[in-house]
Amino acid sequence: MEMNKNKTVEKDELTGDVLLSGHESDNIRELDNSLPKWWVWLFIITIVWSVGYIFIYDVIEAAPYQQDEWKNEMAAAGSNASGQTVLAADSTLVALADEASLAAGKEIWLKQCKVCHLEGGQGLVGPNLTDNFSIYGCKYFNVVNIIIVGAPEKGMISWKTQLADNQIKQVASFIMTLQGTTPPNPKAPQGEPCK
Amino acid sequence: MENQTFYYDNKIVKNFAYATLFWGVVGMVVGLLLALQFIWPSLSFGIPYTTFGRIRPIHTNAIIFAFVGNGMFTGIYYSLQRLCKARMFNDLLSKINFWGWQLIIVSAALTFIFGITTGKEYAELEWPIDILVAVIWIVFGANMIGTIIKRRTSHIYVAIWFYIATFVTIAVLHVTNSLAIPVGLFKSYPIYAGVQDALVQWWYGHNAVAFFLTTPFLGLMYYFLPKAANRPIYSYKLSIVHFWALIFLYIWAGPHHLLYSALPNWAQSLGVVFSVMLIAPSWGGMVNGLLTLRGAWDRVREDPVLKFMVVAVTAYGMSTFEGPMMSTKTVNAISHFTDWTVGHAHIGALGWNGFLTFAVLYYLIPRIFQTQLFSKKMANLHFWIGTLGIIFYAVPLYWGAITQASMWKEFNEAGFLKYPNFLETVTQLKPMYAARAVGGALYITGIVLGIYNLVMTVKAGKFLPEEAASAPALVKTEAKRGSGEGIHRWLERRPVQFTIIALLVVLIGGLIEIVPLYLIKTNIPTIASVKPYTPLELQGRDIYVREGCYTCHSQQVRPFRSETERYGEYAKAGEYVYDHPFQWGSKRNGPDLSREGVVGGRQYRPNSWHFNHMENPQRLNEQSIMPVYKWLITDDLDISTTAKKIRVMQTLGVPYPAGYDQIANDELMIQARGIADDLRSQGIQVEPTKEIIAMIAYLQRLGKDVHAAGSPTAAITGK
Repeated sequence: MEMNKNKTVEKDELTGDVLLSGHESDNIRELDNSLPKWWVWLFIITIVWSVGYIFIYDVIEAAPYQQDEWKNEMAAAGSNASGQTVLAADSTLVALADEASLAAGKEIWLKQCKVCHLEGGQGLVGPNLTDNFSIYGCKYFNVVNIIIVGAPEKGMISWKTQLADNQIKQVASFIMTLQGTTPPNPKAPQGEPCK
Repeated sequence: MENQTFYYDNKIVKNFAYATLFWGVVGMVVGLLLALQFIWPSLSFGIPYTTFGRIRPIHTNAIIFAFVGNGMFTGIYYSLQRLCKARMFNDLLSKINFWGWQLIIVSAALTFIFGITTGKEYAELEWPIDILVAVIWIVFGANMIGTIIKRRTSHIYVAIWFYIATFVTIAVLHVTNSLAIPVGLFKSYPIYAGVQDALVQWWYGHNAVAFFLTTPFLGLMYYFLPKAANRPIYSYKLSIVHFWALIFLYIWAGPHHLLYSALPNWAQSLGVVFSVMLIAPSWGGMVNGLLTLRGAWDRVREDPVLKFMVVAVTAYGMSTFEGPMMSTKTVNAISHFTDWTVGHAHIGALGWNGFLTFAVLYYLIPRIFQTQLFSKKMANLHFWIGTLGIIFYAVPLYWGAITQASMWKEFNEAGFLKYPNFLETVTQLKPMYAARAVGGALYITGIVLGIYNLVMTVKAGKFLPEEAASAPALVKTEAKRGSGEGIHRWLERRPVQFTIIALLVVLIGGLIEIVPLYLIKTNIPTIASVKPYTPLELQGRDIYVREGCYTCHSQQVRPFRSETERYGEYAKAGEYVYDHPFQWGSKRNGPDLSREGVVGGRQYRPNSWHFNHMENPQRLNEQSIMPVYKWLITDDLDISTTAKKIRVMQTLGVPYPAGYDQIANDELMIQARGIADDLRSQGIQVEPTKEIIAMIAYLQRLGKDVHAAGSPTAAITGK
């Protein structure tokens, strides 16, 4: 400060930094230190980065917007993108019987199916899968089919975009093992008796 | 010159200090209850008044406006008088400020309990209380500016700059974001809809953090830190640069809460860059605080007040670095909707605000009671327990956030989501939630110790309600800038001009961001298939708002493969045009709901599922942390409001046909009977007049219109 020219400059005892004269608020003094260099550089770098960001994204539009990012991501996933099953539910399909497949099927059941059919398959929102009745057929391939195509109007969604072929087979096979079991509070039969 | 004798009003300081402690405990205990509900959802007790969606706003509002708010007033009323060498401008205004603020808090808590809410985060208060807030805030501002004008000091110190910025900006934010048309005394619809509402809300929300939790506390730091350390402020120049940079840049950064949303890309870009540019101005405060302690670090070891301040300022530095990082699209894609946001907010709230508040209280309570702190040892213990509490709170949440975000995004080799069931990703976090609750409990333990310590201090001391001080009267100075006087130095002795300039500086960013969204129609591409809600859906939506569903469920699918595969079409601006208020949410404790009603969609559930799920979520999956909503099944829907609601919506530009309000309830009943019939066919007996029917109707509407447009994801590429 130019005012200091003819005055003795007052300094802080501990650091030797210059105290600003006349700057005293409830005994709080202020030092005449400059902005820390690294701080100024940090500020400049963030400003330059920001100008560059706006220039690239919003002026020359050289970087992908989020809609394009999504398209790129879907394209990169290729045919896997929507994971559509190619499994066809024909009557020659045979339920899997090995322990590993049934265990995997049960795991899928507990994650995805239980929430409507309840844990033991006794049914609540969805039908009882343990009794001898069925709306869409009792055979293994009928079960596979309903998992693939769903019955959206009744609330059964199509799982073909969420489960792979082998997963559909696993969970359908597990469902077949529920038939004839007697969980508590079974839902009343729906559909036709199984032949 | 002759000294004038005057008296500082310590009584108002004491009142605010007591209120700070009281509401702090209330807000934190509610927070702990919320934390425990993540582990034991039955702690919602099956009644509306203690259910997550209703008490979460109590927690957030109590911490922000009651605990931090009263703490801010405590510090400002103490420091402003001393910095101005003057008593507060008017004792009556001080009293109105105090009692008005407590009335607001009590009204807030009561209305939230009863589900009276606008459904806009941190702005949940309904319009009559909003008006009260505006009035009391202006009382505070008038009292402050009045005090500054009748000061006995030549210049206003940096702490006061921050107080002024706080006052003017909060006033603008609060009024702008609260504009609404009342439906009744306890219900209103905001004038903004969808994307506009989201932008205004987060412009407000972010700047509530900036100008309610940050600038006043920087002001407090600039007073109490040098006082407690008895050291000069490190750099006056840094104070100037970082103050103006901070208030100018902060106001632009709101859109960083809406990255990858349906907000136009240009607005998102502004949110990103202004957040990144905020690092240095924010750190300016930390640097000026910490470097002020040069030469006094030995005292930091001794003095609990300084210890609390050092951790507070460090937490501030951490979260103001973390915030900009979270505002970059790369990090935000991971952090948003997860507990990362919650962890981040609590570094700020527990570390910066909580610790600085206690530093201020430990500093000023002994002084106004003319004694020493009862126990330094206990304050140190509080410090260590609190610090441990913050670490235990935040670290598990960061860990959990990264875990959950990874699970949301993971695909198996066949191209299917590895964790298609959202609940799996929540169940995985239970240990983290437990650790977080322990952290919160530790922090509260520290607070209890602190309160005991302060109570004992008060008991040992003698309160000095009127503290005598003396200073010479302010000599009238030349209005014009003197030779050799810097512009800023001149401005510091012209507080009115200072206030006006600060207001203009904060207005710039807000106007540039918000106004174009109104003026340029192409910012919101319309979608022809998007129609207004039916009367039943509208009533259902209001129940959704009332129950605070947005506190756990988003309605905004981001354009990521992992989200379009899980939920369906990503969010389009045009689908929200009738949403007063928007309900995009900011945290997913449960799945996104915006595609819930798409028949055949991935998220679709039949009516009977929703009924069973609301009645008892754990019956469908015992791992679920969704609270029960039994009262929706037993309570009748209030249809006396339907006609008025339709008319207000018409006023807001929602294209219901003329005279529709008269037939709205007939249509409502037809739709309700349809849903009740469908439920009956599934063996569920429920009257069509119950609230659950409206709620189901609303949920089954979500996403229907945008999916009816074919595949808008491919068709719409608006920027």
